[in-house]
Amino acid sequence: MEEGLGFAVKYPFSASAKAALSGTELNERIVDMAIERLKKALKGDKSVKMLLHDSDRKEEIASYAAARMILGHLRNNFLTNSFAVNESKKVHDHLDKEDVKTVDAVAAEFGIVSGSAGGKMDIDLPTYLKFSTRNPHYRLINRRLICGRVEITYDEKKRLVEEAVRKHIEIIPLVKDPPDIIKSAGKKLVEELPKTESRIIANVKEGDHPPCVMRLLEEMKKHQNLPHQARVFLSSYLIAAGMNDDEITGLFSMLPDFSEKVTRYQVGHIRRKEYNVASCATVMTYGLCCAVCKIGSPLNWHSLDDYRKKAIREGTA
Amino acid sequence: MGANEVDFARKVFASYYGKAEFRIPKIEQREFGIGNQKKIDARHLNFGNAQEFRNYLCNNTPMFVSHSTSYYDFPGASPMQKKGWRGADLVFDLDIHAEGKYGAYAHLGRVREDVIRLVNEFILGDFGVKKEHVVVAFSGNRGYHVHVRDPAYLALGGDERRELVDYIMGQGLNYTEFFSLEGRPAKLIGPKPSEGGYRGRLARGTIRLLEESPGTLSRLFSKEKERNFFISGINEGNWSRTSLKSNDIVERLKPVAANLPVNSVDTDVGVTQDLSKLIRVPNSIHGDTGLIARIIDDIAKFNPWIDARIPGGAPIKVRFIEDVPAIEMDEAVGPFKKDDELELPQYQALFFMLKGSAIISDAKD
Ligand code: SF4
Repeated sequence: MEEGLGFAVKYPFSASAKAALSGTELNERIVDMAIERLKKALKGDKSVKMLLHDSDRKEEIASYAAARMILGHLRNNFLTNSFAVNESKKVHDHLDKEDVKTVDAVAAEFGIVSGSAGGKMDIDLPTYLKFSTRNPHYRLINRRLICGRVEITYDEKKRLVEEAVRKHIEIIPLVKDPPDIIKSAGKKLVEELPKTESRIIANVKEGDHPPCVMRLLEEMKKHQNLPHQARVFLSSYLIAAGMNDDEITGLFSMLPDFSEKVTRYQVGHIRRKEYNVASCATVMTYGLCCAVCKIGSPLNWHSLDDYRKKAIREGTA
Repeated sequence: MGANEVDFARKVFASYYGKAEFRIPKIEQREFGIGNQKKIDARHLNFGNAQEFRNYLCNNTPMFVSHSTSYYDFPGASPMQKKGWRGADLVFDLDIHAEGKYGAYAHLGRVREDVIRLVNEFILGDFGVKKEHVVVAFSGNRGYHVHVRDPAYLALGGDERRELVDYIMGQGLNYTEFFSLEGRPAKLIGPKPSEGGYRGRLARGTIRLLEESPGTLSRLFSKEKERNFFISGINEGNWSRTSLKSNDIVERLKPVAANLPVNSVDTDVGVTQDLSKLIRVPNSIHGDTGLIARIIDDIAKFNPWIDARIPGGAPIKVRFIEDVPAIEMDEAVGPFKKDDELELPQYQALFFMLKGSAIISDAKD
């Protein structure tokens, strides 16, 4: 297993990374590297440099910490979540090349400790719930669960670590009065941010949609990442609700891992194939249902009267 | 309910609260809510210790009292964001919705069966929670509350708790995926009774059905030899030891699968997933029934009409102001007709008064 600075560079949130940083002063160069790191996150660029010298490695680790300071100062959800998604994907790429011991060490940073029973790997249920994604594949009902232990594969374990990293990075402590170089770095970065289509989201927000759709739009507005099923469901719903591809693509640009090309293709595909909008039962199996509307399909929302809608929204139906 | 009845109920409640035994872990970290007109008229209350809480109940005697499932740094602060969330018990609310004021009481036994399965199969079995972390309480009315206080589950967020509810309720359960055809000639390979989760439950449920009512699955299994041969296969995960076709077997298991989830978990009110919810304080009184939300040691033996009544009190003469159907309490009670006047044991009198069906009779004998 790799230790020391080599490990710390790849896993800059680890305890050994924090230890390696002690005594390192923030300077222009590190802040510039942090800005680079954040800009790469916006582009979804997961590439990493080979670093041989200890001093370079330390700076690289420091750039992660500085990036977090900038984010803590800016409190911009879009930036923070893009950073979290990109960094966690980078970690996954690293893990794919590591030996078992190293993967275990990274997992242990988040309290993910697997055991084994009957030749199968398993982890405890609360940890599984915390770090599994909202993908039907990971739904508890589709899992083998015995005595508080959930069976997982080695690949799934790495996926849980990725999610743990993402969640960890998403929670950024507020930095109230940062050093001036952080402040000016933040300013510079914001100027270069892509402008999100706030006009479109405003329109849709005012619109009148079932709770499951409203919640996804809410999450999107906060730049949270949405699982694949949620995106497909939302696209098919919005198409049925009469939005055009430009509008939907604009909406999805709020997502932290947005790619215009991919989104356009997918939305177009859903439209061409005339995907049915998922029924409530299906939305439920995706884990996306969040109310009891008793309408069978989210599309039937529009046939309810205002009184009933209000009651459902307020949970008093 | 008139002023006489309210006064009477308050007196009975207050004298119970003087001696009641509460077991509220970390009482100082919980938010409390009380209600008189509704279940909750006021919330964001908090108490430094059990004695303060008792004094409050004796002096103010609300009809309902509930506490947060969550623990907070500042339980009395509002709005919610200022409380400083520290974690929450995992709580399940099981109840029955039935027609009419009195419709649900006939089905309490069914909810109790569900509680037993929820605790034994899901919470202790699948989730692996230790028994000492589970508290079951009567809700005081139409159901039960299960409180899980395992520290490992304390920090779970709302979505994660919802996932547990969905699991318990079998949302998205597709039992046909438990089966596959393997080998040559093809064998139907499926779950074994020794497995955990829904897989094991399906196998065990099938065997139980075969043993308890052999002909239900297919007339074939009325014959002991056929049946035993089929069961011997299931025990090994081989579901082909029968002349039935594979897809036919899987299809016929539908009713077995439908009974595996716990259906009376109430998700509408969101007690499990909404971390800001308040839940009736165990061992407090439910103001719609006068029954105690009793902490239950042995649920299999629990009878609310005996174990959850407020002890003591002299019989009271009441007059019914509407018709009431017969109810099976610890004894058959009723039916009553409007204007019936009679003496009832205190807990029954209280029950019908709080339900708004009877008033204290002023007729002199
Ligand atoms: S019931 Fe249907 S429409 Fe309502 S939130 Fe659930 S999935 Fe959406």
